[in-house]
Amino acid sequence: MIKEHEHIRFLLNKYWNCETSVEEEKKLQDFFSQGDIPEDLQPYIPLFRDYKESQYSIRLDNNFDKKLKAAIHQKEKAKQYITIRIFTPVLKIAASIAILITLGVGVYFFVNENRKPYFAETYNDPKAALKDATHALEKLSEALRKGEQASKETFDKLKNLNIDWAAIDSMGRDMEQEMEMEMEVEGDTDVDKDRETHVNRNL
Amino acid sequence: MDNEKFHHIILSLKDNLYRLALSIVHDKAEAEDIVQDVFLKLWSKKDEWDTINNAEAYCYRSTKNLALDRLSSRAIRKTESIDPQLEGHSFIDSETPHLQFIRKEERAIIYRCIDELSQNQRLVFQLREIEGLSYSNISSVLDISEDLVKVTLFRARKKMKELLEKYNDKRT
Repeated sequence: MIKEHEHIRFLLNKYWNCETSVEEEKKLQDFFSQGDIPEDLQPYIPLFRDYKESQYSIRLDNNFDKKLKAAIHQKEKAKQYITIRIFTPVLKIAASIAILITLGVGVYFFVNENRKPYFAETYNDPKAALKDATHALEKLSEALRKGEQASKETFDKLKNLNIDWAAIDSMGRDMEQEMEMEMEVEGDTDVDKDRETHVNRNL
Repeated sequence: MDNEKFHHIILSLKDNLYRLALSIVHDKAEAEDIVQDVFLKLWSKKDEWDTINNAEAYCYRSTKNLALDRLSSRAIRKTESIDPQLEGHSFIDSETPHLQFIRKEERAIIYRCIDELSQNQRLVFQLREIEGLSYSNISSVLDISEDLVKVTLFRARKKMKELLEKYNDKRT
């Protein structure tokens, strides 16, 4: 027993000088945890027994594992959306820009449509335009010339026919008279018929 | 490092990290939150697991850094020390009230002594005495040299010895 106490005193001396190993410190702890401690060593009981006892009694409660598991699960889930969450402000800005661009382009085309000239320039080379225009005008004038010529010829032919317009006019008038006379003759025969029926009644 | 190893680390280290966080922030809910954040961070770095050669030291370091960050972010708020009576759950019921009182007293003494240490001394002390880390591991957790770890621990132990003897003299 005394030998053990000697050994403990030896270890304790080493301990104060920081020369003990972890195992030797464990030995000191075990010694102070049992009942029989010499008086000169009693002041160190709090250090080797009580401090450790109270510290080792500090434990996380049993729900810790569950909480940690839930937290890890949540983190894994959050990871999937993390990229979206990171870019959310950027997305908002991008959406705003997209809307602005759409509106801007819409307005631009709308205004442009109203301002658009009805005759748009289709030629890049003025010479070609002039050439085509001349060609078109020549064609038009040629067509007009042909039409003019044709109508002239027709007039000439009509003149050459030497029609007696006065005779044609009087002919028309005669025909009208004849027709009127015919109508009158028909009216007379109707009167005769009436007279006949009248005579028959009297009989 | 695969999923199985991840779960193994969580199971074996969660209480240790919780203790370390609690020793810094002195708030149970916050300490639990810190440990959860450390594991979540580790989980999200799945691709880098192979490059982490000391997962244990990595977890301790993350916990320490996060806890110190939280502490400084609420620096205006006054930090309270752990109430040893609240923290001590491992009392044996068969102890007499008198013995219980003495034990509580002794517990109060040790926490009062620890409060006297500097932040770095407290961290080294905690990692060595409670978590039983080697000097090289402590040096990688705290990002300081092994020599500085030893010097800091030496001063912390010396101070504890003096304080404990002083309290003992007062009592007798």
